[in-house]
Amino acid sequence: MTAPTVEFTDERLPNGLRLIIDEDHLAPVVAVCIWYNVGSKHEVEGKTGFAHLFEHVMFQGSRHVAKTEHMALVQAAGGTMNGTTWLDRTNYYETVPSHQLELALWLEADRMATLLDALNQANLDNQRDVVKNEKRSSYDNRPYGQWLHKLQEHVFPAGHPYHHPTIGSMEDLDAASLEDVAAFFRTYYAPNNAVLAIAGDVDPAQARGWVERYFGAIPANPAIPPLGDMSLPATIGAEIREVVEDRVPLARHYFAFRAPHFGDRRSDALEVGAQILAGGKGSRLYRRLVREDRIAQDVAFFSLGLIGGASMAAGQATVRPGVDPDIVERAFEEELARLGKELVTDDELARARALIETFELEALQRVDERADRLAMYATLLDDPDMINRQLDRYLAVTAADIRAVSAEFLIPENRVVLTYLPAAEIAGQETAA
Amino acid sequence: MTLEEILAVRPSPGLPRGYRFPPFERTILPSGMQVLTVHVPGRPLVSANLIVRQGASDEPAQFGGATVLAARAMTEGTQRYPGLELIEASERLGATLHAEASWDAFAGSVDVVAPRLRAALELLAELVLRPTFPEADVARLRDERLNDLMQARAEPRRRVEQAFASALYTSDSPYSRPAAGNEETVPRLERSQLADIHGSLLAPRRAALIVGGDLSGLDIPRMAAEVFGSLGAAADGPVDGAVHAPRAQSAVDRTTVRLYDRPGSVQSEVRIGHPGLARSVPDFHAVQVMTSILGGLFNSRLQMNLREEKGYTYGVHAGFDMRRGPGPFAVRTAVQTAATAPAIAESLAELRRMRDTRVTEAELTIARDYMVGVFPLRFETPGAVVAALGGLFVHDLPDDELARYRPLVEAVTAEDVQAAAQQHIDPDRVAIVIVGDAAAIAADLDAAGFGELEIVREEIPGDGDGGESEEAE
Repeated sequence: MTAPTVEFTDERLPNGLRLIIDEDHLAPVVAVCIWYNVGSKHEVEGKTGFAHLFEHVMFQGSRHVAKTEHMALVQAAGGTMNGTTWLDRTNYYETVPSHQLELALWLEADRMATLLDALNQANLDNQRDVVKNEKRSSYDNRPYGQWLHKLQEHVFPAGHPYHHPTIGSMEDLDAASLEDVAAFFRTYYAPNNAVLAIAGDVDPAQARGWVERYFGAIPANPAIPPLGDMSLPATIGAEIREVVEDRVPLARHYFAFRAPHFGDRRSDALEVGAQILAGGKGSRLYRRLVREDRIAQDVAFFSLGLIGGASMAAGQATVRPGVDPDIVERAFEEELARLGKELVTDDELARARALIETFELEALQRVDERADRLAMYATLLDDPDMINRQLDRYLAVTAADIRAVSAEFLIPENRVVLTYLPAAEIAGQETAA
Repeated sequence: MTLEEILAVRPSPGLPRGYRFPPFERTILPSGMQVLTVHVPGRPLVSANLIVRQGASDEPAQFGGATVLAARAMTEGTQRYPGLELIEASERLGATLHAEASWDAFAGSVDVVAPRLRAALELLAELVLRPTFPEADVARLRDERLNDLMQARAEPRRRVEQAFASALYTSDSPYSRPAAGNEETVPRLERSQLADIHGSLLAPRRAALIVGGDLSGLDIPRMAAEVFGSLGAAADGPVDGAVHAPRAQSAVDRTTVRLYDRPGSVQSEVRIGHPGLARSVPDFHAVQVMTSILGGLFNSRLQMNLREEKGYTYGVHAGFDMRRGPGPFAVRTAVQTAATAPAIAESLAELRRMRDTRVTEAELTIARDYMVGVFPLRFETPGAVVAALGGLFVHDLPDDELARYRPLVEAVTAEDVQAAAQQHIDPDRVAIVIVGDAAAIAADLDAAGFGELEIVREEIPGDGDGGESEEAE
């Protein structure tokens, strides 16, 4: 069993816009996904959170589209849409019934061409408030809410573009001005900094015609500033530890490691290793920490898939009440160390491969996921055909590959251990001391 | 043409390609179990769900959570595959094997490529028919649930949900507690309760196997008969297919405000509502259009007001959780602390406006067009089609319910929407439940006069403050 090949065309308009079309008529549905090569890694000190705040502004209207009308038009067309911002990129997408494709393309073109016409202080202030509430509800008002930000701070040194969180700081959000927004738009929201992927029930010639019509005359920005050097030593060099006292009922450890960047062959081995470590009930960490030793409430291990200089692999284990957190940390670390010493068994590898194959097949069934992955591989790796090769790369990973990548990266000198402890327990210990 | 001239013209839609919900076939096995098959060409990944119309609302009150826990424990080993051998066997097939229970139903499911469907169904049957419920694993899963309840108490967005349910329903109504049980019921759960629940699940007239995907060359009913043939044969559970709605007595006889104090909270989690509707409600489609306009669409009235105009929140939603019995109607949001009372006032005003005036043609058109247009997007994969058929079976809806969804939505009028709001939403009798910083918002809430204010100061796990409850006027 192998996943069906995704057939697509890949071309560039004269203004630099990269256009990828994947024709598939199974369902009367088409997905449009546009990736801009700008993320929070492009932000400078004092302007953190800007890429994401800008993503919100993109829904506040353009010359021919009123505030929030973008959503109204897409939903009235029977479609869904959203945008997301991450360290490496910002993306926007619409999935619509196939006869509404032209609308989605026009909406994306209008805001790429004319966003600044609709920009005003009231809209910026409103979305600043919305984003501050997003920060409160997604991070600040949640137990363990700052874990990712803290891991980023430790895995990537101060001054590195991955050091700060995508959501930014309240102070920087407050400081964002209309001029900042306009400058950001002029710099990064240009056709030569974007990949447009269309997947699904589409006539490629007709779609290409619409893309040329709506996007073709949008001027390129010949002066997109190159990102600085993001290279880092392969590993952190010495273990970093932080203990956080928080309003959490159960202690929890987060573990992070500097890791090979997305697209590096070793990241494939790490991905398969993560499946063997923590992918479901048959995995090593679940079996030992949750099921057999009964010292953890849950376990996880995953990687972030970052492209610049280095990426991050991370894990977590929530400590059961009454269990010494140190015991959980040791057991977790022993399992990671074992992965770097002994070969995984043939059965473990076979199970991981079979599951990964199903996950890939499941994801590629949907047109929105295919459009997203085509745009992702084109933006991050300049190689959209990775959509057809990624699974084979996972399946080619050997037990020796997993041992090698684990021995190189999942080691104490490359480790961050972030431990959340219940405030009450710390208070209790202090009283007892 | 210039770019300006090109962009100034809004494109009009092309001709819609025809769409119909994939037709399904029903076979009734000699045992009485139904088999629904839906052939979706070109989809090699097949979804199979074994659904039983029996859920958490059917279990004995003192053992709340037994059905959910039983479902969780069913992957912990069977007679033929003890311990993790069941999971390992499914992983070798690349199959994701899963079991869960909701208020209304139990569902065992597996997703697998078509050539391995037979082998995967055998594992699904093992899980459903012959789980062993090892004592030690049941104890572990029970403890995990208790730990999870502790986590839920500390997390504002989860704490508010549990508090909201207990404010809506009397304590003898199952919906007043979480489907997975609470601190009172879960400690009582032993292997024997789970085994009892499992025995009662094996009633073939309440069960259906639903399979979707590219089924070319596969005789699913025959496979089902061979694999699940014994379903119910050895059980002494109920034999008829009838199900009953649980007791769902409203505890909301006037508007009350219950504030769970979290000193220092940067946001307030807010829920406003009352007991709502069962899935069997006759004006289902009008209700769906109404809640889309109120709090479902991205540009719903609540969202435009609280988010896009006022900036109080990242998001606000409203709707009915329709179960076999009347689940909650709720407005759900998290707002910045200072905006708590104003956000509640605006939400109540939107509920009243929904009843007092008719929606505009523009609002109605967007809502209907969205629901009709998005329908094919919702059922792109076999998994989604199978899940929708599962809903049909669980709620005993007519076979053409999905096929006639779009015409029925298109027929909803502004009058229907207003009637649905007037009939099903009562803004003068709501429970308002908040998790937030009492020192910062209690005075505002009191001054706003929404209703009697009760401040609950409870121990928050991990925080170690003492708990008490006080009334404020």
